Order: sequence, then C-alpha cells, then structure tokens
Amino acid sequence: MSDGALATPFRARAEAALRDPFLQEALTIATTKFITLRREAFAEFPEGEALRDRARAIKEATLQHLDQYLEQLITSIEARGGHVHYATTAAEARTIIVDLARRAGARTVVKSKSMATEEIDLNEALIHAGITPVETDLGEYIIQLAGERPSHIIAPAIHKTKGQVAELFTRELGRAVPADPEELTRVARAELREKFLQAEMGITGANFAVADTGTIVLVTNEGNGRMVTSLPRVHVAVMGVEKVVPSMSDLVVFLAILAKSATGQKLSAYTTLVQGPRPAGELEGPEEFHLVLLDNGRIDQIGGPLRESLACLRCGACLNVCPVYRQIGGHAYGYTYPGPIGILLTAMQHGPESVKDLAHASSLCGACAEACPVRIDIPRMLIELRRQVDERRIAPREERLIFRGLAATLTRPAWYRLGAPFARLLQRPFVRGRMIRRLPLFLGRWTHTRDLPAVASRTFTERWPELSREATPR
Amino acid sequence: MTTKAEFLARLRHGMPQGQGSLAAEVADRPAHPAEAVEVIRRQLSERWPETLARFQTEFERVAGVFHRVPTAAEVPDVVGRLARERQARRLIAWHPEALGADWSAALTAEGLTVELMPRGEIDDEPTRPALRRRIAEADLGLTGADLAVAETGSLVLIAGRGRPRSTSLLPPCHVAVFGRSALVESLAQVSAFFEAWHSDAAPEWKGGVINVITGPSRTADIELTLIRGVHGPQELHAIFVEADAPTATGRHG
Repeated sequence: MSDGALATPFRARAEAALRDPFLQEALTIATTKFITLRREAFAEFPEGEALRDRARAIKEATLQHLDQYLEQLITSIEARGGHVHYATTAAEARTIIVDLARRAGARTVVKSKSMATEEIDLNEALIHAGITPVETDLGEYIIQLAGERPSHIIAPAIHKTKGQVAELFTRELGRAVPADPEELTRVARAELREKFLQAEMGITGANFAVADTGTIVLVTNEGNGRMVTSLPRVHVAVMGVEKVVPSMSDLVVFLAILAKSATGQKLSAYTTLVQGPRPAGELEGPEEFHLVLLDNGRIDQIGGPLRESLACLRCGACLNVCPVYRQIGGHAYGYTYPGPIGILLTAMQHGPESVKDLAHASSLCGACAEACPVRIDIPRMLIELRRQVDERRIAPREERLIFRGLAATLTRPAWYRLGAPFARLLQRPFVRGRMIRRLPLFLGRWTHTRDLPAVASRTFTERWPELSREATPR
Repeated sequence: MTTKAEFLARLRHGMPQGQGSLAAEVADRPAHPAEAVEVIRRQLSERWPETLARFQTEFERVAGVFHRVPTAAEVPDVVGRLARERQARRLIAWHPEALGADWSAALTAEGLTVELMPRGEIDDEPTRPALRRRIAEADLGLTGADLAVAETGSLVLIAGRGRPRSTSLLPPCHVAVFGRSALVESLAQVSAFFEAWHSDAAPEWKGGVINVITGPSRTADIELTLIRGVHGPQELHAIFVEADAPTATGRHG
C-alpha cells in the first residue's frame, strides 16, 4: 500500500471514519440496501441454499487438485494462441505487465474493475513507466480521479456524494458538471468512450477461469469489461490462482449465486466469456491475449490456516453485514481488501503482523459466515489470526500478559474461586451500573472502545450450591 | 521471472496430503453435450409458451423491452418504429447469414441507413478502425440471440464471423431478434449449451467471446442511484418471432 493510509494507526483511522457524518450515513444506506437486495434475491430462489453448498464443494474439489486444473487451464489457453505468465509476488506481476505494455507500445491502457490489479498496485507501476492507466468502471474512475482507493469491493466509491463527484469532474475535466448522477454518468461515458477507442491495451481481472476451455469470465454491469476485451489490440487478464473452475458446468453454479450475493441481481448485466485472442475470421477482439497467474501469498495458504479464504468470490456480502465495516467503511482497514474477508486476505498477502489490530476489528458475531455464498468460516480464521498474533508476540506486552493471566485463572477452578472476590474489590472504584466504562493506565486502551461487564456481586459459581438445591426435586 | 515449472512445483509442494473433511465435488457434466442440448430442445418444443411468458416477465424486470411479431417479415416494422421514436438514423446489423434474414431493403425503406457487418475478418488494417468508428457512431445495433433464458431474462450471444462483438455493445440501443428454438428455461440448461459450444459440436463460425446479456448496461456507483447506459446500450429490446425466426442462431450445438 503506497498511499500512506498506514502511516496512521488503525484506531485513528477508525475514529476518523466514525467522526465523518457523511460517511456514516452513506455506509448505513449502502450496506442496508445491499443486505435487503441480497435477501430478496435468495428468498425467491429456493434452490439457492443447495447451490451454495454445491458451489463450496466445487471450490474444495478444485483446491484439492489445483495443480492439475491450473495446468489444464494453461494448456487450453496456449492451444488457442494465448500466453500465460507466472507471478510469485506482486512486484513480479507488475514487472510482467509493464513489460507487456511496453512491448505493445501502449501509451494508454484501459482497465475494467479488478481487485487483483489493486492488490498489486499496478496503476502506480504503469504511471512510473510513463503509461497512463484509465479505470473505466464508473466508481473506479471517480476514485482514480480523486487519487483514492476503493472503499468497497463492488461499490468502490460509496463514500462519495454526488456533490463531491461533480466538484471532482469539474476540476479534473475542466468544465462545469452539475451534481446529478445521470449527467455525471453521461459525462464519464463520453470521456471513457474515447479512451476505449484509443487504448492499445486492455487490462482486466477475472471472476473465474474455466480450466477445460481456457475461458476467462468477467462479470460487469456497465459493459466496460466487454469494451476492454473487444477494442484494444492486446488484452491482459490478471488472476489469483484460486479463481480457476474445472468446467462450464461448474462455472454456471457460481454465476447463479454470485450476482445475487453481490447486488441482488439474478445475473449482472454482462457475463462475458473470453476465450483467448481473436480467432481467425473474427472481425474484432484482441490480437494478443495474456493471462498473469498471481500467487502473492495464496499458494502458501493452500495447505495453511487461511486455506478456506481461497474460496472467496469477492462478492462483498460479508462487508455489508459486518457491524465493524458498517461503522468504519473500507478505507479505515488500510489495505486493498476491506471487511471481514479483507482481514484474512491482508494477512495472506502481508503476513500476520499486518493484521495485529485488524484481527480484532471484528465482534466475531458470525454474520459474515452466514452471508458468505460459499459459507467461508471467517470468524474461525479471525480467531486463528489472533492466536498467531499472540504467539508471534506481535501484540503489545501488556495485552499478552493480561490474557495469559486470564487464561491461567479461567483454567484453574481454585484460582477462579479466589479471583471473584479479589476482582470485586479491585473493580469497586470503576463500576457504574454493572458496567466498567473506564479503566486507568494502559488498561484504559481496552475500555476506550468497549465496556467491560463488572464481576457480579455473586457469581454463578458462588450461587451454584443454592441453585442446585432448588433445582433438585424433593 | 518465475517459470511455469517453478510455479507449479511450488504449488504442488504447498498442497496438503490427504483430502480433508469438507465436501468436495465438481458439477455433473453431460457426457454428450450435443445430445443433452437436443433433449432440452425436444422438451421445450412442447412447453415453449410458458417459457416465453416467464422470459418476458424476467426480461421486463431487468428493464428489457419485449416485442412479439407473427413472422420475420414484421421485424423491420418494429425496428422502424423504434428508430422513428428515437430519431435514430444509422443502424448496424449482423451479417444476413448470421441473422438468418436480410432485412436491409425493408429497413432502408423505413428511412434507416443500414450497414451490414462483413461476413468475416478484414485484413486491410486502415479499414478496421474506420469500421469501428462507424459502429460506435450507429444509433441502433441489430443482432440475433442464440439463447433466451427464462429464469434470468437473459439473452446469450455468441460472437463470431458476421457477428462482431461491438454490434450489441457500442450503439445506445440494442435490438435482438429470436425465435422459439432459442428459448431455454434455466441457467442449468444454459450450462449444457456452454458445454456443447466448446465441444466438437461447436459452430464453425464461433469467435472468441460469448456474452450473457441481462438488461441494458447499468451502474449504481454514484449514491446508489440506478443509471442505465454507462458504457453499453441504454436500451435493450428483444423481438420474438412466433413463426420461429429465420435466424439460424438458435439452431446449433
């Protein structure tokens, strides 16, 4: 991440988000709307629940033989005249793509929305090489003009008002544009139409890749994915290795649940199946097709604790239902992927050190796991990350000491019985109506953002002898 | 740079031994996709009216506009009326062989400037961008449809010879003509067609792209306000030909 968001600590970023009244309103409206749309879509689709299980089973079966499916994908693509490149790190992916752009003589590249290219900071690398990347998804276009990062996986500019967008367009495009979404969209359409027709190269991500046929699948609503893969002379797709599916029949199972989970649509407006470069006899389409297979931490997790997160479809459903995301929005997370799944993907790409705070940015309520179309057990892995953070002594020393003390007390009945009266004595100055709202010294860091329930005047263990007598029938 | 061998070796090294406890199963695939497609076609030849009714409902839900004509000869009337209402002048269309009909005379009589897409590739480099400019400047794009999916209200279009990708993309209004042989009920049935189109039964004119189109181009990126026609067409029309359109588009696979 190169935009300096990480210069401020997570707590400060989150607090700034909480103090931004517009962001608060925008987040509530957007996430509530997405939740409703998703619920309605599945409500009228009774086979949805069974399909979610099938989709997950396909992901699992694919991961178990990922090497074979990738090899099949590579063979199918090369058989159609496409080229495949292998990027172990983000830096390697950038080098490959910048080289391809140079060789294509590209001055302008048009991009359709891709989290994989966000993940590898591709735009900065292209600009550095003197190549102009143009984001063509309306939301991405807005945040690119603003010099920002997406704040939601599928709605990157939900944090911006139409007034802010109008100001931005007026400033960047050098002409007055009214604060009307319809008008703003028309302006963007005209600006970008020219770019599509000029650009020498198109860069996309991939929602799926079908191993059997060598097909890259793009799901978009605006049609920019179609533009980028039809008009420029060269098409480069960047894809995490986990996105491969075995066959067209598997693909359709995912298509049936992806848009419903993301936006509540039965299907997005355009599902585009791209098979290599333009074959002989076709009028349009790129002469060259390149697929960049991206590892960037994924392969380490095939047999690792975060393996389950490799099933993620990037639909954004877990963001919308997350009580933390709903409060702080995407930017506060500080990395490419926000929300519950974002914490796991951040740890996958940047190591557990990167999520020492983020691993705790979850109430473990389980809403994410329930919303996930492929039922990824996100809370289980968040707990695992907390364990790793503790084990590697990344957490502050005081925090580790307290948890260690707590663990010792909770696992020894004798200590626990003695602990209750002791704790009651210590907590007395701080209890207000059965809650501890503020603690002194470093302990205050805990109560700064949370209330701590006070130890009861009589604990359950202390009441147990009486309770058991009452419960015994005479 | 990482080579294919190194990349796959690293992957194999990282893959766990043993299968784990989670359910793992790929989707069932038709053993003979071309036959599976024929079975679906036969089943639907009996109950196409219900399928069409459901298609219409779902197509209209995604803001498509549905038209119905008795025979292919009435298609230019509908297109002509759409053009007049929009003061549209320039129409581009798939090659008549791909459309299954040549409506250019009738459409010209409706006052339209008609440009039919060439049948195949253009080798002459300067001609290609010029043609693209003309497609981009067209007001209407006329295509066939290989499938009309009732469950989702989607049209499926295979790009290829005589059927350029941008005919259904660059003009602000896209009109697709289809007959009953293009109708399918569900996405599950679509997967049989996808399998068939990538088997030996693939049509010889098939190009590099298949699009599943579900409504006009749309966005909700500014304050979640739904706007149609961002990059692709603002309007999507489907014309159903009762006599089963001469469009050969539905009949393969």
